[in-house]
Amino acid sequence: MPSERRLHPLSFVFVIGGQIRQLVGPALVVLIGAGSAGLDWQAWAMVFVIPYALVALLKTLSFRYRFDAGEMVITTGFVFRNQRHVPYGRIQNIDAVQHVLHRLLRVVDVRVETGGGDEPEARMRVLPIAALEEMREQVLAGRAAKAGQPGEAVAGAPVVDVAPERRALLTLRPGELLLAGFIESRGLIIVGAAFGLLWEVGLFDSMVNVFLGENVSSRGVIRQAVGALAGGRVPSIARIAVMVLAFGAFVFAIRVLSMGWSVIRLWGFQLYRVGDDLGTEFGLFTRVMATIPLRRIQTVTVRETPLHRVFKTASIRVDSAGSDGAEGGAAKRESLAPIVKRADLQRVLGEVLPDVDLPSLTWSPVDPRGFGRALRSSLVLVALLTLPFIAMLRWWTFAWMAVLVAWASVHAWLYVKHLGWAVGDQAVVFRSGYLWRELTVARFNKIQAVTLSESPFDRRARMASVRVDTAGAGDASHRVDIPYLARPTADDLYRQLSGEAARTAFRW
Amino acid sequence: MDEDPVAVTAEDGAAEIPAPQPALPLAPRSFESKDVQRLAPEYVSLQRAVGWIQTASVSACALATVGIVWLTRDIPWIGKLLLFPGWVLVTLGVGWLSYAWPAVHYRHVSYTLDDEGIEIRTGVWWRQVMSVPRSRVQHIDVSQGPMERSYGLGRLVLYTAGTNHSRVELAGLNHAVALGLRNHLLPRGSDDAV
Repeated sequence: MPSERRLHPLSFVFVIGGQIRQLVGPALVVLIGAGSAGLDWQAWAMVFVIPYALVALLKTLSFRYRFDAGEMVITTGFVFRNQRHVPYGRIQNIDAVQHVLHRLLRVVDVRVETGGGDEPEARMRVLPIAALEEMREQVLAGRAAKAGQPGEAVAGAPVVDVAPERRALLTLRPGELLLAGFIESRGLIIVGAAFGLLWEVGLFDSMVNVFLGENVSSRGVIRQAVGALAGGRVPSIARIAVMVLAFGAFVFAIRVLSMGWSVIRLWGFQLYRVGDDLGTEFGLFTRVMATIPLRRIQTVTVRETPLHRVFKTASIRVDSAGSDGAEGGAAKRESLAPIVKRADLQRVLGEVLPDVDLPSLTWSPVDPRGFGRALRSSLVLVALLTLPFIAMLRWWTFAWMAVLVAWASVHAWLYVKHLGWAVGDQAVVFRSGYLWRELTVARFNKIQAVTLSESPFDRRARMASVRVDTAGAGDASHRVDIPYLARPTADDLYRQLSGEAARTAFRW
Repeated sequence: MDEDPVAVTAEDGAAEIPAPQPALPLAPRSFESKDVQRLAPEYVSLQRAVGWIQTASVSACALATVGIVWLTRDIPWIGKLLLFPGWVLVTLGVGWLSYAWPAVHYRHVSYTLDDEGIEIRTGVWWRQVMSVPRSRVQHIDVSQGPMERSYGLGRLVLYTAGTNHSRVELAGLNHAVALGLRNHLLPRGSDDAV
């Protein structure tokens, strides 16, 4: 049996040191507070930190690791025991940090990282330097033993020395950048800040005064308008005109600012391909050059807003997860093409996803009964929205309700009609949205887990939804998450996707 | 190395804790069967024991509240008398729930293992089936708290590179079974080149 390693005997120094460093801030607060008012409850609060430190110390004392044939095994805990197996092939980084004290005591703070989870998979605080060397050797040897098969070359192996040429896929002219800024409207944040500032300073009030020629605060204007509506009185034409004009000017200012910002930020945008890497390069003042290896792309999302459709364009984003250097599988969301003409879209997508033929996919709709369910959930929303107006029942309350119910029905119908999914040879594709349309492609070899879920409502209607989990997706990312599937369809899709995922190998 | 009680291999664990389901294939790395597997029945007892502790503390807190209201608030005596049936009801309700729920939960959790990976079913109202291919498992924990140890149970935690399911937990397994599952699921061969 392989022998067990422990941490360096002086580890407790660093663990307690780390704890003390965390305590310095609160302790200072307590001391300063105590200087004026004597030792207070705050001092007693410090006592509760001691068990926490004790737990950390016990964890350090119980820490053991050993090198087995294919994996590193780490055990911790006396009371809550945990045994962690980390295969050598999965280890991406062995980071070592040495500060002054570490160097004096000839030890290192070691972090072992794989792609899973957010934290380092193992933190060894601290090891003798020889142990770090041994660990690196063991992990390398373990990896080599696994990747021994010829032909199964390690990913990222140096390509033959012909320097790959750089091929431009997409170059954006200033006109297109202006359009991108107009569509994306990032100026909202800037204008929002400016608006808030104006409001605070009171400039806004004086502007309104100039236009209306009377001395009212702008808060008053809006309040009066709302009050007039609620009271059934018709506000004066001048007021309405000012409000509409102000709103129009506001929207226009946002768009103009956004266009300017877009030109500055994306000046000279180019998307290119070098060998198996994609690269983007842009910026007038801050020149950004980003490289995304094709194999690191986890999902690709094509987004079409209503304005995109007016101008026959779209934008492309990718979720990528990398293991470059210290980043260790950090998730990144990157805009691959802030704007791309619809005519060029398939060509660019073909380069980004060489083995997925999007136009030839056969799309499947969701279950038509999904309409009823979507309608019911939007009617619940309508009920909630109209609830406050019941109290002031007027003739227009019913009109308001009728409009909302009509809107709910149209929304539910369009929403369900535009949901669609397709399974190709290499990927699963999901699209949703009718005004803001999004389409996401997840390749089978990037699928981490497949879930079939059934809510109580799903069960009543014999439906289910199928969701695909991938690496590097942001909270707001469009995901492959297909709702309203008839149960047998959902089962088949789930089986197919989990089977395909299991048959492919995942590479970072 | 001898003083470390955690360093048991799968074989050691199997020898120490007799598995309650003899049909379960324990031999590591050779799960042929595609049968649906259940959690260890001891998990129900464990959750009930935890439930009793929770019931006791909820009941104690409720009793303290009743006492404080009784002593400090000026309410009619009939109201004061109604406080005690209320307390009994709360205690009975929480107690019944912590007795009944573990069995219901147990019936709705299962897993299936095959050569490609593991499939876990959970959820009583919101049900979910999740499939984690073995080639996506980054690393695996098997852990045991003090209560779990006294029931011979352990929990298996799979880590993937995913976003929503980067940590997939399966609690309430027989400890030896958890070790066997781990040995089966750990990546091997050439399918895990990074």
